[in-house]
Formats: sequence, C-alpha cells, structure tokens
Amino acid sequence: MAVYKRSYRAYEGPVTSPAERILVLARYAWAEAWASKITIALFILCLVPCLISLVGIYAANNPLVRSLINGKASELINVDAGFFLKVLSGQCWLALVLLSWVAPRVITFDLADSALPILLSHPISRFGYLFGKFLALFATLSIVTWIPCLGLFIYQGYTSTLPWMAGNLRIAFGILAGSFIWIILLSILGLALSAWVKWRVVATGVIFAAVFIPAGVGAIASAVLRTRWGFLLNIPYMITLVWQRLLGAPEHFNTDNFLPNGSIACMLTLACLVCFAMLNQRIRAREVVRG
Amino acid sequence: MASSMATMRERLSQAPWGLWWIQGYRLTRIELRRNLFSWRAAWIYFLAFVPTFILLIHLVVDRHSGNSISEDTSILAGIVQLYYIRLGVFFGCLGIFSRLIRGEMIERSIHFYLLSPVRRELQLLAKFAAGSIAAILLFASAILANFVLVYVGFGAAGSDYIFNGPGLGQMESYLAIIVLACLGYGAVFLLLSMMFRNPTPAAMLVLGWEAINPILPSLLQKLSVASYLRHLMPVQVGAEGIFALLTVKTEPVPAWQATLGLMALIAVVLFYSCLRIRKLEIRYTTD
Amino acid sequence: MSDQIIFEDVSKFYGEVLGVNRITLSIPPGITTLVGPNGSGKTTLMNLMTGLIQPSRGRLSVLGLTPADATEFFSAVGYCAQFDSFPRNITGWQFVYDSLMLYGMEKAMAADFTVEALDRVQLGEAAGRRIAGYSKGMRQKIRLAQSIAHHPRVLVLDEPLNGLDPMARAESMALFEDLGRQGMHVIISSHILDEVDRISDRVILITGGYLIAEGDIHQVRQEVHEKPMQVLIRCDRPEVLASRMFSVNHCVEARLHADGKGVFLRTSELDQFYSMLNGIAAEGLIKIDSVAPADDDANAIYQYLIGTEGSAS
Ligand SMILES: Nc1ncnc2c1ncn2[C@@H]1O[C@H](COP(=O)(O)OP(=O)(O)OP(=O)(O)O)[C@@H](O)[C@H]1O
Ligand SMILES: [Mg+2]
Repeated sequence: MAVYKRSYRAYEGPVTSPAERILVLARYAWAEAWASKITIALFILCLVPCLISLVGIYAANNPLVRSLINGKASELINVDAGFFLKVLSGQCWLALVLLSWVAPRVITFDLADSALPILLSHPISRFGYLFGKFLALFATLSIVTWIPCLGLFIYQGYTSTLPWMAGNLRIAFGILAGSFIWIILLSILGLALSAWVKWRVVATGVIFAAVFIPAGVGAIASAVLRTRWGFLLNIPYMITLVWQRLLGAPEHFNTDNFLPNGSIACMLTLACLVCFAMLNQRIRAREVVRG
Repeated sequence: MASSMATMRERLSQAPWGLWWIQGYRLTRIELRRNLFSWRAAWIYFLAFVPTFILLIHLVVDRHSGNSISEDTSILAGIVQLYYIRLGVFFGCLGIFSRLIRGEMIERSIHFYLLSPVRRELQLLAKFAAGSIAAILLFASAILANFVLVYVGFGAAGSDYIFNGPGLGQMESYLAIIVLACLGYGAVFLLLSMMFRNPTPAAMLVLGWEAINPILPSLLQKLSVASYLRHLMPVQVGAEGIFALLTVKTEPVPAWQATLGLMALIAVVLFYSCLRIRKLEIRYTTD
Repeated sequence: MSDQIIFEDVSKFYGEVLGVNRITLSIPPGITTLVGPNGSGKTTLMNLMTGLIQPSRGRLSVLGLTPADATEFFSAVGYCAQFDSFPRNITGWQFVYDSLMLYGMEKAMAADFTVEALDRVQLGEAAGRRIAGYSKGMRQKIRLAQSIAHHPRVLVLDEPLNGLDPMARAESMALFEDLGRQGMHVIISSHILDEVDRISDRVILITGGYLIAEGDIHQVRQEVHEKPMQVLIRCDRPEVLASRMFSVNHCVEARLHADGKGVFLRTSELDQFYSMLNGIAAEGLIKIDSVAPADDDANAIYQYLIGTEGSAS
C-alpha cells in the first residue's frame, strides 16, 4: 500500500474577474508600446502641430496681435470649423504614423515564435486578448487625436471674448466622433494587419500600403471608368468627407466626387469586417502546418 | 564518389568564373522558386495587375469614341507615373527586395546561405538578379497588358495610333521606365534592408526624398530614382495636390543620359551592398 | 596545407557581452567534444569557426582556409547549426538537394549525394514531406543530413543529439564515430560530457567564454579528480574539528581561518567528507554554523562538467 502525503495544494484562492484580466493585457500592451524611444519621438512629433495651433488660437483671440495683422491676413487665423478640421486631420494622419509603429509592437511579439498558444492557454479568451490590445492602441491614439483637439477647443472657448463655446458645440462633437471613427478603424486595421503578416518589420509597411494602395487603385478606377465610386476605395478621401460633415466645415472637394454618407459607412464597416475575419483567422491557439 | 568529389574540387580551383556562373544561376533559380513564385507573393501580382483588371472592365463596359483616345493616353501616363512608380513598383520592390535578405534574417534561415559555398558578393548579386527578374517580369507584363487593353478598344484608330502614331515609342519608354524603376528601387531597398532592422521607415523617408527631389539643387537630384525616370516619361501628366511637386519643370535631360545616370546609381548602391554583405554577421537574438 | 583548426587569441564581444575570450586552440583530426553549460560560448565558437560571425580580435583558420574563400572553405566544412529554422515551404529532400546544387555539381550527382545523406541519418520517407511539418528530431536529422551531404572534411555539429530519441542518438553517435575514424574532423558540442565522451578523442571545456581545459578525455578526467575540493566550515572550535578530520586520510589539507572561527579543509572524497561532518555535528561537541565550498567558480564548473561521481561510463 502506498501512502501519499497530500502536501501539494492547487491554488484555490480568489481570482480576478475576466474584465480585469483584459485590463492587465491592455496595461502590458501599453507598456510595450511605449517602451520604445521611437514611440516617444513620434509622440512628440504628434504634439508639434498642436502647439502651433495653440499659438494660432492665442493670436486669433489677442486684440493686440489682431491689430498688428491687418484685414485679409486676419482671416487666415479665423478659428472656426475649418480651422479645427485642419487640426483634426493633421492629428489623425500623424496618428496613422504612430499606429504603424505601435500596432506591430503590441501584437507581433506575441505571434512571432508561436508564443500565442502559450498566451491563450491562460484564462483569457481570444476576444479578451484582442480587446486588451485594442484598448491599449485606442488609448495611445487618443492622446494624440481627440484629447489635444478637445483641449484646443476648450482653450478657444476660454480665451474667446465672444460667447463662443455654446454656439460651436457641434465642433466638439465632430472632433470626438470623427476621432473615434478614425482611431477605432485604425486600431482594428493595425491589429489585423500586424496579426496577419506576423513580422513587425513588414507590418509597418503593410499598414501604410493598406491605406494608400487602395486609394491609388480607386483613383485609377475612377479615372478609367469615369465614375466617382472608385473613391469608395479611398480611405483618406472618405474619412476627410466624414470629418467635414461632422464638423460642419465647408466641403472643398469637387462636387462630382460626392459620396453619400451611407456608402461611406458601408465601406468603413466592410473594412472592419474584413479585419475581423483576418483576426479570426490568425488569433488562434494552434496553427496547422501542412507538411 | 570520393574521386568525383576530388575532380570537382579540382574543377573549382581551375575555372572559378564558370563555377560562379553556375552557382549564381542556380541560386537565382532557387531564390525565384522559394520566394517569388509562391503563394506568399500573391499580393505583388495584385499590386501589378489591379490596373489591368480595371482597364479590362473599361474595355468590356465602356463605349470607346474616337476622341477619347488622347484622354486615355494621358490616363495611361498617369497610371504609370502616379500609380506604378509611386505605389505599385515602390511597395512591390520594397516587399520583394527587403524579403531577400532581411526576410531571411527574420525567418532565421540566412545562415544556410552564408554557409553555402558561394561567395557572399555572388549571393547578393544572385538575390538581386532574382528579385529583379521577378519584379520586371511582373510589372513589365502588367504594363504591356495595360497598354494593349487601352488601345485595343479603339479598333482601327487604336492600331493606327500604335503602329503609325507615337504609340509604339511610348510603350517602349514605359517598359524602359518600369525596368529601370524595378532595378533602381530594388538596389536601394536591398541596401536599406541590409542596413536597418526595419527598412520601412527608411523607405518612407526615401519616398519623401523622391517627392521633394525635383525642387532640390541638381546635384542632389542625381541621388534619386524617380528623378531619372521623370526624364524618360513620354507623356507629361498634369498633376494636382501633393503630386504637383513631382511635375516641377526641370531642364530636360537626354534619355540616354538619364538611363546611364540611373545605371551608375544602381552600380554604386550594389557595390556598397557587396562591401556590407562581406561583413554581415548573423544575430538572431532580436526580431 | 595544415590539417588543423587553429584559433589564435580569438575573442568575440557582442557589444558589452562577452562571447568568448582569448581562445587559443588547435584541433587535430578526430572527434573533439566541446563541453560547457548554457551560455558558455560553444555556439559562438562554432559560429566563429564557420564564418557566421567575425572575431572581434585574433585570427582563425580551418585547414588553412578562411571563410572569405567561400567556395573552398565550405566545400571542406559542414556545419549543423543550433538554429531550428529552415527556408520556408520546402521538403527535406529539396532542402538537401538545393544546398548540394550550389556546389556546382551535376544534377545526377547531387541527387545521389542527397539520397546517400538522407540514408545516413535514416530520415525515411519523411524526406518527401515539407520541413515545416517535421518533428523536432526530424528537423535535427535533416539538418545533420544537409551538413554531411557534400562530404566535408570538417564537420561542426552544435548539439546534434538534441531532441533525438535514444535509438537515433545511438545511431548518430555511431555515425560520428565512423566519420571520425575515417580521419574527418568532427567537432561536437554538448552540455553533457558523459553523453559523448565514449566516442570522443579529445574534450574542450569552456565556461563563461573562457577555455578551462583541453586535451585527451582521460587526462582531463584524471586531473579533475586529483584536484581536491576545498570547503570552509564555520564553527566554534575549528582546531578540534581539524584534528578530527585529519584522522581520515582523504582530508589532505587544513588551514585555520584568519578570524579563528573557521577552518578550510581540503578533501578528495567529498561524499565521505560530508557524511563524516554530519556525524560530528550530531555528536554535539562542535557547534557548526555553516559549511560552504571555498573553491573558485572554475572548480565548481569542473565538478559540474565532469560529474562528482566520475562515472567513466
Ligand atoms: N547575438 C548575440 N547578441 C548578444 N549576446 C550574445 C549573442 N549570441 C550569444 N550571446 C552571448 O554570448 C554568450 C555565449 O553564448 P553562446 O550562444 O555561444 O552559448 P552556448 O554555449 O552555445 O549556450 P547553449 O548551451 O545555451 O547553446 C552568452 O552570454 C550569450 O548571451
Ligand atoms: Mg549553443
């Protein structure tokens, strides 16, 4: 007869809730994203236009400065929807640059060397894993898009001599909604492409390519087929339209190329669905290699 | 077997050039088979043939009236200059050529090349040759197909434009441009991929450099691929927006000079790459 | 042309990290085993030998050749590296065949050599499958096949037995032994000396990037066993302990610690020494505070590498 001393005890204490675990992932992804000096450099680069805009707003509201610049030039620094559109689109394109660096960092390290099965053998779901990463990306992009833009908006409301803020709440809403659409799209795109190609090195290029090549293709289609629907492949064009409409800025594109909101929404949703399909394909605990 | 081995060794020492030729040829073939004609490379086909596909739809769907022939000619010029040179060949070559060395490093299989009995310079040139062959085959055939598809819809007027008009000459220059673009970008990206762990940011800088290049002093213009290609374009396209930078008027340079200049640039870049690959060490620890 | 592999004062630094330091060696034909713990620089040494990395200092040559003359060098050298990765999307057969084709052989000859190499490692019909689907042992075998396929005169094998089952281990060892007897240079690295010392003619012990011993396997073993271990014992009556200990003959040296609260004892039979020490402690005459080996690291490493039991298998 064998007598075993039952000294081993499995852990039975309290565990964190699944929602908190997602935050753990998000925190680590955030740390990974910001561990690189290049991220910091890009972040600083992203803040430069904001500072310039800040100076612009200050000048626009300062009577002394206004009196120094006469008549025509003073319209250049008119703080209105058009001004915020420029700020927002500038920030959003910089966000793309930041994302192309950060997104591959947060996900490809897990996928390289088949580390994903190990990660997914922890008590987190595939969705939880992705959501954690998504949160980190979203937060990273937030601090270069809507947060500084809204800050500028508030500063304008604060310095403006006229009761400006209440009349222009639509701009604030536009900034928020426009940034959200863009950074959600970008985060999903970044995750999907990084997961798909698996190598950080390639992922950076692929993210750029995925935004600009369809645009080029769309431009060709529009030119050759004499249609405007080619612009539905042009993410930069579509998103600019969205921002214009959300902020209520005057549309300065050729009216021949008008795209209805519905079609834009459809295309952006479609892009997200494609990304989800790619993620579903790639984020798996196992991978079969056909030998 | 030992004796055949010995005779082989003897042959090695006697005729290195013949051997180098065989090694280079075989390495190129292996490279083409492994990296370029595989499913992984499908996206490059996509890049190359998307305009062809659109032109095909155009051919099937649209009516072709005689006066739109000049319009289509300038659209074709736009496709070559703005799509192929800026996006298609650029990203295609970035993918193909950075794969060749950096890709092997990432996959941790470059040591098999370094351990093969082939001189490293020869390996580099063979890889470059393989990349160039793949890129040129792909993009040149795409251009050819585009050209045919644009004019075949016009029937007699189209063939008249090609054979009795400027068409054939234009096609030749397009082909020359694409070949040179593939070689030029290929050499640059091969070097970049050897120098940087992540060549993409550097490539983006190259893209920016190429974009502002036309407004730089003429000495600096000599250091750009696109500036040479610009002088070879048979049809000027009016560009708007950001591409307006590209069409800044510069003094025209004869085609042969532009070609020679680009060839010299490629030779310099390849020579420097050869020097670098001799010092290449494997470090698989990071990335 | 020399028939030796010669290292002349070779050092390799990875930035701040030391890979190997001031290695001077010459390796004659036969089977040589390179033994050391993880991170001791075995792979670094082998990569240096085959030109995958360049020495920071010093020079080396293999049979009078350097990796710069790639054609001749790699006709003479085969390297089975530690990296467990392969070109994508190829079958085992194709992998070996492709590498042979680069020697400039005729196709038929390359095919013959491929078949021969695959037979030697006994990969079986797995050779026709894609490497990506191979098991660890199969990958090890295909790498071995690739490194011996072109009949090199120097074979460098980095942990070639890793991942092999006992049968494949025995077969591989027989293969190495066979190749070594035929006058080939076979250099094998391993963490475990006992595993390979049966077939090897010579061992090189390396740790922390330094060469610590080199020579005939029996010589090295002997030397280590004759070198007694030193132990520092902290206790309240060291002189009593020393006299007790000297009553047994395996204790060869005793020296009081400078503060008078301890004694250094040198013994050649560590196991017996410890059991006796336990007996003394149990008697309660001497209060023992601590017992610690007092040798430098190199000695501890010797013990690790050679094994305290000294099983000459
Ligand atoms: N590419 C590199 N970059 C930085 N340090 C390295 C690199 N390669 C090796 N080293 C360092 O050099 C030392 C020797 O490593 P090496 O790989 O030669 O050890 P090893 O004896 O082969 O170990 P193992 O038994 O684990 O294979 C280690 O300290 C290692 O960290
Ligand atoms: Mg090792």
